[in-house]
Amino acid sequence: MKVIVCGAGQVGWQIARHLSGERNDVTIVDVNADLVRRATETLDVQGVVGFASHPDVLARAGAQDADMIIAATHSDEVNMMTCQVAHSVFNVTRKIARIRAQNYLATEYADLYRADQLPIDVVISPEREVAEAALQRLAAPATFDTEVFMNGRAQLLGIMLDEDCPVLSTSLRQLNDLFPSLRAIVVGVRREDRLFAPEPGDQLLASDQIYVFTHSEDVNRCLEIFGKKTRRQERVVIIGGGNVGLSVARALESRTKIRVKIIEKNRICAERAADALERTIVLNGDGMDMDILMEAAIDRADAVLAVTDDDKTNLLVAVRAKQAGCAMAIALVNDPTLAPLMGPLDIDAYINPRATTVSSILRHIRHGRVRAIYSIGDAEAEVIEAQVLSTSPLSGRLVREVEFPEGVLVGALMKGDKVLKPTGDLRIDAGDVVALFAMAKDVPEVERLLQVSVEFF
Amino acid sequence: MPTRLQDTPLLVILSGIAAVLCLVPAAHGFMTGDDPTARGFLYSGLMLGLLVVMVALATSHRVPRLMPRSNLAALAGAYLLLPVAMALPVMQTVPDTQFANAWFEMLSAFTTTGATVYPDAGRLPPSVHLWRALVGWFGGLLILVAAFAILAPLNLGGIEVISGRVPGRSAMEGPQGSRNSDPSERIVRTALMIIPAYGGLTLVLWIGLMSFGAPALDALCIALSTLSTSGITAGTGVGVAGLGGEALVFLFLLFAVSRRAMPGPRFFEATRVWWRDPEGLAALVLLITVPGVLFLRHFLGGSPAGDEGDNPQGLRAIWGAVFTTLSFLTTAGFQSEAWSSARGWSGLGAPGLILLGLAIVGGGVATTAGGVKLLRVYALFRHSERELELIIHPHSVGGRGRGARLLRREGAYMAWIFFMLFATSIGLFVAVLTLIGVDFETALVLSVAALTTTGPLADVAAATPIAYAPLGNGVKLALGLAMIVGRLETLALLALVAPGSWRR
Repeated sequence: MKVIVCGAGQVGWQIARHLSGERNDVTIVDVNADLVRRATETLDVQGVVGFASHPDVLARAGAQDADMIIAATHSDEVNMMTCQVAHSVFNVTRKIARIRAQNYLATEYADLYRADQLPIDVVISPEREVAEAALQRLAAPATFDTEVFMNGRAQLLGIMLDEDCPVLSTSLRQLNDLFPSLRAIVVGVRREDRLFAPEPGDQLLASDQIYVFTHSEDVNRCLEIFGKKTRRQERVVIIGGGNVGLSVARALESRTKIRVKIIEKNRICAERAADALERTIVLNGDGMDMDILMEAAIDRADAVLAVTDDDKTNLLVAVRAKQAGCAMAIALVNDPTLAPLMGPLDIDAYINPRATTVSSILRHIRHGRVRAIYSIGDAEAEVIEAQVLSTSPLSGRLVREVEFPEGVLVGALMKGDKVLKPTGDLRIDAGDVVALFAMAKDVPEVERLLQVSVEFF
Repeated sequence: MPTRLQDTPLLVILSGIAAVLCLVPAAHGFMTGDDPTARGFLYSGLMLGLLVVMVALATSHRVPRLMPRSNLAALAGAYLLLPVAMALPVMQTVPDTQFANAWFEMLSAFTTTGATVYPDAGRLPPSVHLWRALVGWFGGLLILVAAFAILAPLNLGGIEVISGRVPGRSAMEGPQGSRNSDPSERIVRTALMIIPAYGGLTLVLWIGLMSFGAPALDALCIALSTLSTSGITAGTGVGVAGLGGEALVFLFLLFAVSRRAMPGPRFFEATRVWWRDPEGLAALVLLITVPGVLFLRHFLGGSPAGDEGDNPQGLRAIWGAVFTTLSFLTTAGFQSEAWSSARGWSGLGAPGLILLGLAIVGGGVATTAGGVKLLRVYALFRHSERELELIIHPHSVGGRGRGARLLRREGAYMAWIFFMLFATSIGLFVAVLTLIGVDFETALVLSVAALTTTGPLADVAAATPIAYAPLGNGVKLALGLAMIVGRLETLALLALVAPGSWRR
């Protein structure tokens, strides 16, 4: 598939990397010649230097025969215009734009993006998705990673196993027999930096990071079994009042009774945040300053959320807050190579904005009826939620009959609106929604399984 | 070459309007058969008109150096000179009166104060009552137009609280150097916008009051003085039209709470809905708490003597308290018929001090009301609220948008300056009056009444009603000055006399 990615910034770069890694024909467009050169050198992509919305630049990038355009420059307006040009001049079928300004995303103006108006098929908003991820982390404080699947009926939890976890050295098969009514399944284990899909005979060890796919109603029970207590959170401190911090605070304000305090260094940003929020207290000052942290009562806070645009600040603030007595720290980390630092630094969870954004873009690239994709770790594995078509090789067969590759596990099966735990003699019917954990190397095979089978033709 | 109206100095135009207004009581006099009074008004009007035409011919095409400021000077001049001209027909028609009394009466009407030296209503012919109310109405109209066309461009009259800029300096003198529209044109435009609404509302209120059974002249006087919040009546109180009439007057007094109801440019953000109007909110709080306190006072400290009152009388007492609160808040100074029963019912003395306080708070910015103005009080309240927040979180940032932030910081600063100036001027006038020989309490009540343009305060605020008539000429002169200071606002006068305005 031929894809044009406009903007070689953080998001554009990651998307290009991901797509080129899957043997797509990717062209990257950016005004900055250095960035484009670096992209063509490091990634398997072509590069065009120029202003993304100019028709001649798009023509040079090969928009005539492109299947998809992803506009991820830093300007909302350029992204919109790029999609419009791609649609009107080059007839590109699929157009994805990244829109940051919350105003463009308001639900009352959703009509704007209809095909006959501003032809954008998919609007992605990294800030909004990161805020959503942050909220999920806050809601499940004992996990280091969460994602919602199947319209919110199922959840993927990343759990770090401590020494005092009651089910250590228990094989997964035994675990299944011990808790027959628990609708949860361990789909991935990371042991000593290696991620793998566990066999039924594998045992869980201390300091394993496990990924559990569970029914939403069983989340708390599941956490208990793995030795995690669920705490209620009442006081949250957010460091950084930009788009992400503001979205999180707004969501917390509207949904819960949590008392939020925001610390923002930039006076103008702080005022903007204060204007947009009702109950939240916005403090203007450096999040690294202990006085400010104490003013926000960090020692009595249940959670601190470090979401500034600087990874190192986030990490340091999180460490500092924990040291001061904050119960839990979540940090926004852009650089995936910093992820292993979380353990030594005693940071409870991290949010990777690229993972969330890339996940939402990948959803629209994959074939078949893919409904959601979540990228795990540094693109090591994916959880794919897809609808089973009647022509798929999966359709009409029992789970144990399907020849899944070694690195693939079924997380859950949704029939109608009931989420079921996958057992060997559960039949997969056409129209069901299946959630699969797949190691990166097995993704093409999974795609084949979800696609129209050859016999159909 | 025909002279354009705009090229004539403002003061001359205003005098011309006063001359034309003389014809109204003249017509009224002829219709009611009071020929001597009518002639007095007619001749005064004609004389004044002649004078105005001559001055207009002499002064047309005079180009003042600083238009906005010269208009401010004209406004101050109007308060100094016009009452003298307006006193002319009063001298002609009222038998054996001093010129000082006639001047004081007209000044108090023109500044919408409504303090009268003729407490015996029967002494004045009906046409003179009409003239007093009409002058008050004209004064109210003048201040409504001036608030936008003269004071607003100079950052005065409450605008400084919203804009947060230095008062007395117009935005046109900014570094951009671009000249805005001609101030005279602005006056005409604003006047054309306001006169229909102001006149129309008066007419509606007049008809409404008559339909509740008030005599035509009484109803007209009350209507004129309700819209201008002057509180002038033709002898009979506002209760002449019954409880329904009072309710009607109450509704029309609300126009003095916020500028929102009148046409013309808007100060506040257009998106702000009316129930979040800061002045409306402040007035609502006062309208609930003050009558509430007065009502509860009966139960807390009331003597058993009041207990004979049954429930309807309690309701009447509440209504009386609510009406009188609004009437003094808007510095009109009407008293509800139920007010005296409210006092009697509670069995306690007159809560004059509360009314004094209400008058100091005053009505809305750019309305006909006087006093410190609700917007300034609101700004000070918001500021203190924010300061309390800052005690807990010294680094916290206040929200609610840019406008609110400006109001809390610079606005509150300006409001505080004005408040202090107001307090100082009360102190100053009290000092002057006591020096002349008035006793302290009387001096205080009179000063506040004059500065807040709430003349009827003298009747109710002190333990025993204070009459204006027996006051000496010196006292009247001082009070007259206080009325002008209160009407124009101290800041505007300071801006006018500050050395900065003498420079080119």
